[in-house]
Amino acid sequence: MLTIELTHYLIVSAVLFCAGVFTMATKRNAIGILIGVELVLNSANVNLVAFDRYRAGLMDGQIAALFVIVLAAAEAALAVAICMNFYKNLVTVDVDQGDVLRG
Amino acid sequence: MEPVLAKLLAASLITPFLTFWILVLWGPKIGKPRAGWVGLIGGMGVPLALSAVVFATWFFTGPQQRAELTAAAQHSQVFWAQLGSFDVTFGVKLDSLTVAMHFMVCFIAFWIFFFSIGYMSGHADCVHHQSKYWRFFAYLALFAFSMLGLVISPSLLFLFIFWELVGLCSYLLIGFYFETDYAPPAAMKAFITNRVGDFGFIIGLGIVFTFLGTLDLEGAAAAFKTQLATSTGLFAPQVTVPIFGWTFSGMTLATLMGVGLFCGAMGKSAQFPLHVWLPDAMAGPTPVSALIHAATMVAAGVYLVARVFRLLTPDAQMFIAVIGCITLTFMALIAIVQTDIKKCLAYSTLSQLGYMIFGMGVGAWTAALFHLITHAFFKAMLFLGSGQVIEGCHHVQDMRRMGGLRTKMPVTCWTFFVGVLAIAGFGIPGLHLGHWKFGLGGFFSKDEILAVAYDRAYNWGRFGGHSDGHAEARAKGEARRAYTEEPAGGGARRAESDAGGRGVRLAAFAGEGAEDVQSPAAREGDVHGAEGGGHHASAKDGVASGIRALPKWMFWFAILTAYVTPFYMFRAWWLTFMGKPRDHHVHEHAHESKMMTTPLVVLAVGTLVSSYFLFRPMLSHAAEAAADAPLVVAVDGEAREPAAALLSLDHTPERDPHKKLVGLVGFAFLIGFAVSWAIYRNGLDAASRIKAIPPFNLLHTLLERKYYFDELYDFLWVRGCRAVAAVCAFIDTWVIDLVYNLLSGVTERIAAFSGRVLDAQGVDGFVNGISETANDLAEVLRKPQTGGIRKYVLWSVGLVTAAIAALIAAMRVNGG
Repeated sequence: MLTIELTHYLIVSAVLFCAGVFTMATKRNAIGILIGVELVLNSANVNLVAFDRYRAGLMDGQIAALFVIVLAAAEAALAVAICMNFYKNLVTVDVDQGDVLRG
Repeated sequence: MEPVLAKLLAASLITPFLTFWILVLWGPKIGKPRAGWVGLIGGMGVPLALSAVVFATWFFTGPQQRAELTAAAQHSQVFWAQLGSFDVTFGVKLDSLTVAMHFMVCFIAFWIFFFSIGYMSGHADCVHHQSKYWRFFAYLALFAFSMLGLVISPSLLFLFIFWELVGLCSYLLIGFYFETDYAPPAAMKAFITNRVGDFGFIIGLGIVFTFLGTLDLEGAAAAFKTQLATSTGLFAPQVTVPIFGWTFSGMTLATLMGVGLFCGAMGKSAQFPLHVWLPDAMAGPTPVSALIHAATMVAAGVYLVARVFRLLTPDAQMFIAVIGCITLTFMALIAIVQTDIKKCLAYSTLSQLGYMIFGMGVGAWTAALFHLITHAFFKAMLFLGSGQVIEGCHHVQDMRRMGGLRTKMPVTCWTFFVGVLAIAGFGIPGLHLGHWKFGLGGFFSKDEILAVAYDRAYNWGRFGGHSDGHAEARAKGEARRAYTEEPAGGGARRAESDAGGRGVRLAAFAGEGAEDVQSPAAREGDVHGAEGGGHHASAKDGVASGIRALPKWMFWFAILTAYVTPFYMFRAWWLTFMGKPRDHHVHEHAHESKMMTTPLVVLAVGTLVSSYFLFRPMLSHAAEAAADAPLVVAVDGEAREPAAALLSLDHTPERDPHKKLVGLVGFAFLIGFAVSWAIYRNGLDAASRIKAIPPFNLLHTLLERKYYFDELYDFLWVRGCRAVAAVCAFIDTWVIDLVYNLLSGVTERIAAFSGRVLDAQGVDGFVNGISETANDLAEVLRKPQTGGIRKYVLWSVGLVTAAIAALIAAMRVNGG
């Protein structure tokens, strides 16, 4: 019988993380990148909750996860606002077009 | 009343000074005709009004009151500064001499200012498109300030300050046409020659200050008198000069002091060795020649001698007389051959100044000053006349090109003739109606000088030889008393100051003094005098040995000049105004203008009357101050103590100088005129024929070259200076420049090393290196900053992954 170990959570989390990073690295659409960011954040959340579950009785991992969720919500609101301004300025959400910060 | 007169005199300095600054600061704005009027009113009109008030008040003030006023002015001086233990004060000298001089300067200057407005208006006075018109009047106003200051100065210090100021004005005005090539050297010559004289003046001032302890005229005279009486200070048997340690015996230093002070006068009044600047000073505008170089400033030297008369020893006086005599004779001779109308007048001025100085030297104090004033009137007029001629003839100054101008310029012609008569000494001797004698001012003043000279030469008995020992001892006692006693006891003093009416006479001690003397004090003096004279006082006293008769040649030189003067003046007048026109171009364009003839007429009237009736009594009164002198030989022909006590005066009626002079020079003017007329009546032919005859041709060349004085000075001083300058230039080039160039070369090398190597490569290299490094680094670092967000993600992930991998690898290695 396959028992669900910490390692499985970590694998899920790593897959999520890699998917998020891959999304951020490949998507040209700003919204897509935001989604990638959410994936990365949530992979971190999975990690936090998983480690919390396999440690004795402490809730700090879950609390940290809740913090991350709240922060992610705030970040998402901010990021969407940035996207809208991005669009306002460049009439696109393709991040490859927005290279005005090039050194 | 007492402070008012002195204050009025002081106030007369204010407006010329203000006018000077107004014209300097706002001259161009005031504009051409108006600047002249500002100069006339502010520069001289106001002072003339003040001066007229003072003069009139003084004229009607009694002798007693005048003495009180003089003393009050002397005591109400204002503290100025402290030099060591010596207080410098300034104030106003208020006596008859100052009042007379002040009024004379104001009056003549006023009319010359007036003339200048006309003279300068027709003048090509634009230099670099800037009118010099206002500048001319600014200089004139400054001159008015300085000259009036000079006249009212109570101390030698202030006299010297104003003395230098008038010298400056003279320099500025001689060099007024600075765009020409002749005016600047003339101005420089005048200034430098005056410096030579002023050097002597400063030495004299130094001796006065060191030994008499004050520069105040009254104080110095008082100290001089005390030191003479007590044989201290200057008159100590052995005098040592503090700074140099030189030792003088007896009166040598006092004589040196007098000669030193006179050196200043020699420069300013252009006396013999320093006379060379005055003819060249004619480069200035003609009104300036009239005002400064004929009437006022050049007379300042005579005024100085008059002021320091009480500080002169007999030897110093003799020196003055010799210089004056040489000047008056030799300069008059040069005037004969001058063809430039202004130059002719300039040499005439030199000769007349020589007369004044000679008069001072022989002791004719009053006569010399009287001649100063009469001369100022007629010479100013003559110069203004020549200015009118030059202006009318469009700047032709050569008399050979004139002639026949009397029809074109009648007023100038006849006023000029009045001046010629005055300088020639026109008068009818012997003809007089009561007090009123017939003659022009120049006649009386010159006659007085000559009379005193005659007295000094022939009536001045030689002392020593024919007296017994007893009388000799008595005479010595008398002499000693004569120094120490108040001069009021002098029997020689005239009781009445009506000198003009009687001309010059010797109120001699020996015999006839009693007729003249009324006051008891004077009678006492008379007794002394009779004793001294009766015994033919002999004196081996140090003081008396300096008093000697005038050498006879000096008197005869002066007489000779009295014949020469009418000749050259009449020649100048005849060549200019009479005969036939020699240059028709000049003659046709000649004209005269109202603005310029008015002053001529005024001054002609002044020459005829005012100088004699106004100034003569005042100068007689002023002579009282000079008579106070302890060592004075004679004032106005009258022997003073101690001379009278020591000398026997052979003054019998048949040796009366006045009568002798009538025969000698009474009609000199007629002879001079006649000779001149004979030669020049038909133009220049006769003159050029005379010029060709052997003895005269050499003489003519000698006179035309002015005795080669310019050449001599050129050889002695100018060449010498140039030689010194050449040596200096050599040293400059080969020593100073060498060192300088060496130093500069080394400095340049160091600078090159420091600039090109240390600075460019060291300091700049370091700073630039930092910035270049930063720049290069930035070039590298900007490459990853693509702005592409996805690349950032990849990079960060990649790098974090690599970092973790490295971390794990490190842990593996450590953990084994």
